[in-house]
Amino acid sequence: MFLLWLRLAAVLYGLASVSVFAAVFGNRPRWRTICLPLAGLAWFAHLVSSVEMLALAHRLMPVGMHEVQSMLALLISTVFLVIALRYRTLSFGIFALPLAFLLVVVPALGPDKYTFASPVIRSGWLFVHVTALLMAYAALIFSLIASFLYLIQERRLKDKRSPGFLNWLPPLDTMDQIAQRTLILGFHGMTIGLLAGSLIAQESVGAAYFADPKVLLSFVMWGLYVVMLFVRRSTGLRGRRAVYLSSIVFLVMLSVWAANLFSTVHRFSAP
Amino acid sequence: MKILLTGLNHKTAPVELRERLAIAPDQLAEETRSLLSHPGIREGLILSTCNRVELLVAYEGDDPELETYLNRQYSVDAASLLPHLYHYRETEAVRHLFRVASSLDSMVVGEPQILGQVKESYTVARSVGAVGGNLERLLQGAFSTAKKIRSETQIGASSVSIASVAVDLARKIFGSLEGKRVLLVGAGKMSELAARHLLGHGASSLLISNRTHERAVKMAQKFDGHVIRFEDLYTRGDEADIVITSTGSPEFLFRTPHAQQFLHRRRNRPMIFIDIAVPRDVEPEMNRLDGIFLYDIDDLQSLATSNLTGRSREAERAETILQEEVARYQRRIESLDVVPTLVGLQSYAESVRQAELRRAHSRLQSLTPDQMAAVEAVTRGLVNKFLHHPLQALKSAARDGNTDALNAIRTAFQLNETQESVSPTSHREAGHPHSFEEEND
Repeated sequence: MFLLWLRLAAVLYGLASVSVFAAVFGNRPRWRTICLPLAGLAWFAHLVSSVEMLALAHRLMPVGMHEVQSMLALLISTVFLVIALRYRTLSFGIFALPLAFLLVVVPALGPDKYTFASPVIRSGWLFVHVTALLMAYAALIFSLIASFLYLIQERRLKDKRSPGFLNWLPPLDTMDQIAQRTLILGFHGMTIGLLAGSLIAQESVGAAYFADPKVLLSFVMWGLYVVMLFVRRSTGLRGRRAVYLSSIVFLVMLSVWAANLFSTVHRFSAP
Repeated sequence: MKILLTGLNHKTAPVELRERLAIAPDQLAEETRSLLSHPGIREGLILSTCNRVELLVAYEGDDPELETYLNRQYSVDAASLLPHLYHYRETEAVRHLFRVASSLDSMVVGEPQILGQVKESYTVARSVGAVGGNLERLLQGAFSTAKKIRSETQIGASSVSIASVAVDLARKIFGSLEGKRVLLVGAGKMSELAARHLLGHGASSLLISNRTHERAVKMAQKFDGHVIRFEDLYTRGDEADIVITSTGSPEFLFRTPHAQQFLHRRRNRPMIFIDIAVPRDVEPEMNRLDGIFLYDIDDLQSLATSNLTGRSREAERAETILQEEVARYQRRIESLDVVPTLVGLQSYAESVRQAELRRAHSRLQSLTPDQMAAVEAVTRGLVNKFLHHPLQALKSAARDGNTDALNAIRTAFQLNETQESVSPTSHREAGHPHSFEEEND
């Protein structure tokens, strides 16, 4: 049943993606009015699917690539909806909705073969660890998008030419606020996620866990995150330099994700 | 007397050139005097605003070649000036002046300032004796056309002023104007309008700085704003989110290092500079700084024209009124030209006299040549005496621009415009002035 809900969500994400492009680029008011309800419905179907799936598996956390992807997509669409309702802008949907669609489409095709052997699977801490970190990733993606959009809008306003197809961009200040707030949200998520992870590791693996490349990189990323937050808040960094900084942190984040391949302890798949 | 209008405006010349020709208000009288001393020019007026510099003259004889005057007066070389100049003559000049005064030629169509600026130029030109009957009539026509267009169309009411362009820009950058501070540097009419608009859209407070401190204080009282002393401009400028400059300063008031200081103190929060002064007050390179958004008068123009489409219908209506007014003015000017009427009246009287003499020819045959000459002299004297007062009245009515009187005389003698081409030698029946018209129909 959860697969059906997920497929429905995928279809709705697809429709919402089409409508957001029409609404934003074509400036069609009718598309504008249906875009948000479509995205909301997709989000709801997605949520139902995720809850059903986890309930069915008698566990609290997503495992395997499919489930993690689906969870990330859910978080991305959540952030998009929050931004759309709070700042009255659909612009982020240009990135968020197609991304959510792409992330959901493969899991919607069929269940994963992946099984998760570790007994910690039913621990609440692990749920906190995974969800908080996924939240941090989603937030960082939005922060990066917002910084990029800020840059584009800044260039446009400085160029003084007024090409119509870029009229959809929200005001600079809104983009700056979104970039800042998602960054802070991501920081909280990352701190909580890492703390929860460390706690679980202390319990199960012991001190050896902290010599792992993935774990070390994660802490480097956290450190960078602190630096970025500090620089942005103290100097009010905006525009080009803010994009550079966000991009670096984003790249480190991707490498942390990829570091799973080299990690010896952060492996939980069944042999 | 011929009419010529030469100049350049925001459509034909970039701000870099316009600011070299711009004339400060306190020099306008002097410049108008020197224009009047140019060979051939009888009457003259100079209109110098941020968007245009135009010379309007009434001249006699050869073309006064105003471009040589401009070259000499502003030491701008001909090669860089000529491609940007336009010349309008007679009806074209009338139409252009009417368009300018009605704000149809403005950067921001329908903006109200231009009429005031034309009036200002007129007052200055009159004060130095540069306005005679020709320009007087022309300018009065322009003022009444502007008034008519303003009252009969919505062009002024829905005008996208510089102020509203400024509001739009501020919204694109700050989202909303709430809590934003506006600094006016230079307390002119234009910046006052912009300030009113920004405050009306939610800007929280107004800071005013002016070289003449008293003027700043006066304006601050009007808007419930605060005054920044001109010498504190660089130390306190960063308090503002939006800076509107419109001073008459010949040099840049704000340069890149100032902006860098402002940004540093504002922790890189963006700042908008709107420079409506010509010559410009803000160094153009400042726009390259991250967080500084600089718009000069030309930038505002391109933004304003992109907003124009919505008002094209009103503009069309205004154009129709303009055409009517130009045609009416032309008719009036033509009717004021009494020479054809004078000639027509005299030739009419002469033809009547000749006809009467011919009619009496058989009875006058017995007269000696001396007696015949006396009859000739008496009839001619009679006609001249009879015509003396009407001719004088025609001339004085033309001088005073009294079209009613002119028309009354023309009607009394049944002289309409078609009579201008009447040949004084035509033969017609005396006592049947109607035939006069019929012949010429």
